[in-house]
Amino acid sequence: MKHFATVFNYELKTQLTKKAGIVTMIVMIIIALVGTSVPRIIALFDKPAEPGTPTEITAPAPEVDSAIGYVVTDEDAARLLAPAIGENPKLYDSRDALVKAIEAEEVELGFVIDQSLNYEAIFKDRSMYEERDTHFGNALTHIKKEQMILSHGLTVDDFNAIENQSAQGQVTILGKNSGNNYLLSFVLMLVVYMVVLMYGNTVSSIIAREKDSRTMEILITSTRPSSLILGKVAAAGVAAVLQFGLVVLAAYIGFQMNKSTYPEIVIMMVSGSLSSSYLLTYLFFSFFGFILYLFLYAALGSTVSKMEDLGSATALVQFLFIFSYVMASIAAQTPNSTLAVVASVIPFSAIMVMPMRAGLVSVPWSQLILAGGLMLVAVAFFAFLSIKIYRWGSLNYGNKTKLTRIVKEALRPDIR
Amino acid sequence: MKLEVKDIKKSFGEKEILHGVSFEVVSGRAMGFLGRNGAGKSTTIRCLMDVFRQDSGQFLLDGQPFRPWEMRIGYLPEERGMYQKNDVLGQLTYFAMLRGANRADAARTAHYWIDYFGLGDFKKKKLETLSKGNQQKIQIAQSFLNEPDILILDEPFSGLDPVNAQVFKDTIAQFVKEGKLVIFSSHQMSYVEEVCDDVTLIHEGNILLTGDLKQIKQAEGRDKLLITSMNGELGALQDKLTAAFPTLVITQDRGSLIVDTQGKAMQAELLSWFAQDGTALRRFGLYEPSLADIFIQKVGETA
Repeated sequence: MKHFATVFNYELKTQLTKKAGIVTMIVMIIIALVGTSVPRIIALFDKPAEPGTPTEITAPAPEVDSAIGYVVTDEDAARLLAPAIGENPKLYDSRDALVKAIEAEEVELGFVIDQSLNYEAIFKDRSMYEERDTHFGNALTHIKKEQMILSHGLTVDDFNAIENQSAQGQVTILGKNSGNNYLLSFVLMLVVYMVVLMYGNTVSSIIAREKDSRTMEILITSTRPSSLILGKVAAAGVAAVLQFGLVVLAAYIGFQMNKSTYPEIVIMMVSGSLSSSYLLTYLFFSFFGFILYLFLYAALGSTVSKMEDLGSATALVQFLFIFSYVMASIAAQTPNSTLAVVASVIPFSAIMVMPMRAGLVSVPWSQLILAGGLMLVAVAFFAFLSIKIYRWGSLNYGNKTKLTRIVKEALRPDIR
Repeated sequence: MKLEVKDIKKSFGEKEILHGVSFEVVSGRAMGFLGRNGAGKSTTIRCLMDVFRQDSGQFLLDGQPFRPWEMRIGYLPEERGMYQKNDVLGQLTYFAMLRGANRADAARTAHYWIDYFGLGDFKKKKLETLSKGNQQKIQIAQSFLNEPDILILDEPFSGLDPVNAQVFKDTIAQFVKEGKLVIFSSHQMSYVEEVCDDVTLIHEGNILLTGDLKQIKQAEGRDKLLITSMNGELGALQDKLTAAFPTLVITQDRGSLIVDTQGKAMQAELLSWFAQDGTALRRFGLYEPSLADIFIQKVGETA
């Protein structure tokens, strides 16, 4: 561990000054700023909502569209339907006449209304955005309701008064409100997902490139493999925190700048769920889970001789991580199911499942301690194993070896 | 300093690669470690550098167990490479720091060796932008960082053009002059002959000979004479000698006769015979075999 700091500093500087990494970060910061400004951008183009929308039943504006034809049973019906079809509707004698008029493009659509105030809408072609039949149906429903209210000896005002009654309720939540916490938990899970994939692949490619370029033997004869692996993993971890810290900061600034344009529910969902216990759980499992995956990526990066073999070598850990993501998605729906509980304890999936569960429900302390302990043990074990595999990798070129054999050989006592 | 390699054995799987390798190296004398490809040179060096752990035997430095990570060692592996995408000065400074230098000293030694090889203009360039020859110089420079007390160089002349090889030979000579302990492996005999004071010959994991190069040459050429006639007719001369001295073992080698006299008395007798016979000779002297001759002979004896 004598040269841990030397390796750490060199690798961190290399990563932070890499052009591709800088460009990616700038793009992500722009996306974070623009993404959090979306409500403001939408508000710029949206017309302001009509103030004072009535809560009571009122007759909708009649469709006075000359492009619509109607077939009604008689003149009385036409008068009754005036709020829906207008004072001077274009009336046809029969359904056939209406169909002919539509086919001749005399009108665009037609409604055939029967005695029970049910209707048939007839189009020649119906566009994706057509809504006139829906509006007509609403107007007809209103008329039908009004007729029924009157037939029971009530007035429309009486009905509105009854309709507006509601019970006053108060909700007390002893644990957590899943509805409020879901959005933030999901967003933070996506952050972990991106960080692990980005920096995991970075670590594995750094090591594979060292091997490909035959730099490894110089390194392992200059210092201990433990300093090399731990320095590289720590550098990737700090680079991730710094670079993604900037992205999160940009998102936070964007959110604060545009907060006034966000719907109330979104503000509540973001700020309402940020309890210190949740943040601690999230930081613990995300950080150590991230480090665990970095060690896995580092170990697998040591097993290849050529850069082009890296993709297939890291497929296993990619699969493991995607499995973890799927488990977290399941936990988001059923956070207390047996599957979610088990997945939140296994270190490979705990990285995403435990923070997700902790965001949605109150996770028992026993499960948190068990999962946390297993996570720390797993990190220590895979750190040791990745050092051994890295050392093994420095001596093996060319031949593709099965992972089980690699582990067996890496743990041989003659490999220091 | 005296480095002792004592009875090193190493197997890979069921196959033993090194069968009890032993030799010694002392400071101020360059030791050439010779052998054919696959003879066990790199495996021995890797065991010495603790890349592999030997199955048995030990490495001792002045009688104490040799711990390479505690020493100032310049090491040039057979499989050499460096960070292609990183700048030259940065990575040499990094390697120097990994070997124990502080930042200032690491930068100083990196600057020195880059300038020494005439690559001062490339300090901030990525290694991949340098020509192959210049990349080799940088790779060799990394083994000289930090003023090492011990230099272990595995096939250092491999791929070097004659000009760079000369620069490298001069540098090794300087290290030897400064009293450093130098080991380098090679299968290029001429370079070893020019640079080394001592040689160790390994073949199929066994040491065939080890010691002072001059003494080895003298021993191998003992009681042998090198005779070249003025007219270059070797066959006739050989026939005459065989007729006059039937017990002599005479062989032809690159335009000369090599005569095994089996004693100094015979050498004087031969000289008198040539004086009486009147054969015009271009050369009559003690035979000293080249390292390549010794190598071929020794390896041939094991076949």
